[in-house]
Amino acid sequence: MLKVTDLSAGYGAINILWNLNFEIGDGEIVAFLGSNGAGKTTTVRAVTGLIRPSSGSVQFNGQELARKNSRAILDAGIVQVPEGRQLFTDMTVLENLEMGAFNKPTREAFKENLKTVYKWFPKLEERANQSAGTLSGGEQQMVAVARALIGIPKLLILDEPSLGLAPNIVDDILAVATSMAKNDGISVMLVEQDITKALACADRGYVIENGKIALEGTSASLSANEHVKKAYLGI
Amino acid sequence: MDIFLQACVNGLLMGGFYSLMGMGQNVIFGVMKIVNFCHGEMLMVGMYLTYVLSTTFSLDPYLCVPLVAIIMFFLGALIQHTLITPSLGTKSFTNLLFLTVGLGLLLSNGALVLFGSEYRTIPTSYQQTFISLGPVNIALPRLISFCVLIVITIVLFAFLKYTTTGKQIRAVSQNPVGAEVVGINTKRIYILTYGIGTALAGIAGALLTGFYTIFPTAGASFGFRALIVVVVGGLGSIPGAFFAGIFLGLLETMVALFVSPSYSDLIVFITFIVILVVRQLIILRRK
Repeated sequence: MLKVTDLSAGYGAINILWNLNFEIGDGEIVAFLGSNGAGKTTTVRAVTGLIRPSSGSVQFNGQELARKNSRAILDAGIVQVPEGRQLFTDMTVLENLEMGAFNKPTREAFKENLKTVYKWFPKLEERANQSAGTLSGGEQQMVAVARALIGIPKLLILDEPSLGLAPNIVDDILAVATSMAKNDGISVMLVEQDITKALACADRGYVIENGKIALEGTSASLSANEHVKKAYLGI
Repeated sequence: MDIFLQACVNGLLMGGFYSLMGMGQNVIFGVMKIVNFCHGEMLMVGMYLTYVLSTTFSLDPYLCVPLVAIIMFFLGALIQHTLITPSLGTKSFTNLLFLTVGLGLLLSNGALVLFGSEYRTIPTSYQQTFISLGPVNIALPRLISFCVLIVITIVLFAFLKYTTTGKQIRAVSQNPVGAEVVGINTKRIYILTYGIGTALAGIAGALLTGFYTIFPTAGASFGFRALIVVVVGGLGSIPGAFFAGIFLGLLETMVALFVSPSYSDLIVFITFIVILVVRQLIILRRK
C-alpha cells in the first residue's frame, strides 16, 4: 500500500536522504533501524509532508503524495507519533485527543473512536481530564499514540517510541501496535534505535545508514545478519 | 474611606482596559512568540474608527463596538497575511521588531495626516451621568465600558477553552511542532490570532471613546501598559494578563490618591522594574 521510490529529501541545500526505496504492505509492521543521524526521522518527515521531498515518489494506495502538504497526507490516512511525543502539555488528555481528530470525518467519528482508543489504553480514560504535562513519560507516550490513532489511520508511523521510557512500557505500546496491525489491518512503520525490540515485533525491516537503505529483509534474516549483529547488536 | 473606595472602583474600571490590551497582546505572543509593538496604535485606530462611524451615521459609540471589532479583525488578518507571516519565516526577531514598530509609527502619523492633531470627543447625552452605589459614584460611560469588557473577556475565555478553533490556537501556542503533526493549519491560526488580538485592541479603543479624548498618539500609553501587563502577568498567559491589568489599574489610582496623579506613571514603571528584578532573582535562586 505504501510504495516509496527513489525518495530524496533534505533541509535547504543539505541533502539527507539519497534515493530511498521501500514499501509497507497492509497490516504489516516494518521496522526502520539505524543509528542517530542516519536519516530515520527525515524519512518520516518526508513521508508525512513536513518537509518536501526533492525528488522521488510516495505512492499510498495508488495516490501520489510526494508533493502534497501534511494535511492532505493526514487525510489520506498516514498519521505519525512524532519523536519526543510533541504533546500539548497544558491541555487535558481529552483535549489532546480531540486535536488528533484533524478533519470532518474524524471529528464526526470522534466519540466512537475514543471508545476504541480507551480500550487500547484504559489508563487514558482515568486520566482524561488531567493535563497531559502532569502524566508520567509512559502515559504521555500513550497519549501521543492515542492522539494519532483517534483518526483511525491506515498507516501509523511511530518515531522512536522507546525514547526515554521504561522497557515494560515500550513493550505495552508495541503490543498495542502489533494487535492493531494483526486485528485491524493498520500498517505500522516503526522507527527505532532499540533494534532487538523493533525486530521482535516487526515483520520486516530496513536498515538506514548515511541516508541510504543499507540492508533490508525479514526480521529473522536481519537479526541473523552479521553486519547488523556487529554494528547494532554488539554481538 | 469613601475616597479610597472610589479610587478602588476607578482603578478597577481602568484596569479592565489594561487587561483587554494585555490579553490581546498575549494571544498574539502565545501563538507567534512575537511582541506586537503596534498594539497601542491599534487601539487608537479603533478610536478613530468609532469616531468616523458614529459621526457619519450618527450612531451611539457603544453601538459601533461590534462593527469596529469586525473591521479591526479583518485589518489584523490582512496585516498578518501580507506582512507578518512572510517575516516570520526569517526567524529574525529584529525584522518583526522593526515591522511592528514601523507599523505603529505609520498608523499614528497616518492618523495625524487624516485627522490633524486636535483632540476629539464623541459627545453623548449620558456623558455626565453618574450612578451612585452607596458612597461611590460611577460615570455611566465607564460602567458600560467595563461591563462590555467583562463580557468580551468571558467570551474570549470560552472561545479558547471550548471551541475547536480556540483549542487549536492553544495547541499551536503550546507546541507548534505537535500542531503541525496533527494537521492544524498554523498559517490560518496565525491570521485568526492576529485578527483577534487586533480586534481586542480595537474594542478597547471603541469603548474608551465614551469618556476619553481621541488623538493620534492616544494609543501609546495603553500600548506601554499592555507590555507591562504581559510581562507581569506572564508571557502568553491570558488569565495572568487579566489579573495583571486589574492590578495595574488599581495601582495607578492608588498612587494618584495617596501620592500624586503626576507620579502615577513614574511609580507604575518603577513597580514594573522592581517586579522584573525580583522575579529574576527568584529564578536565579531556584537554579
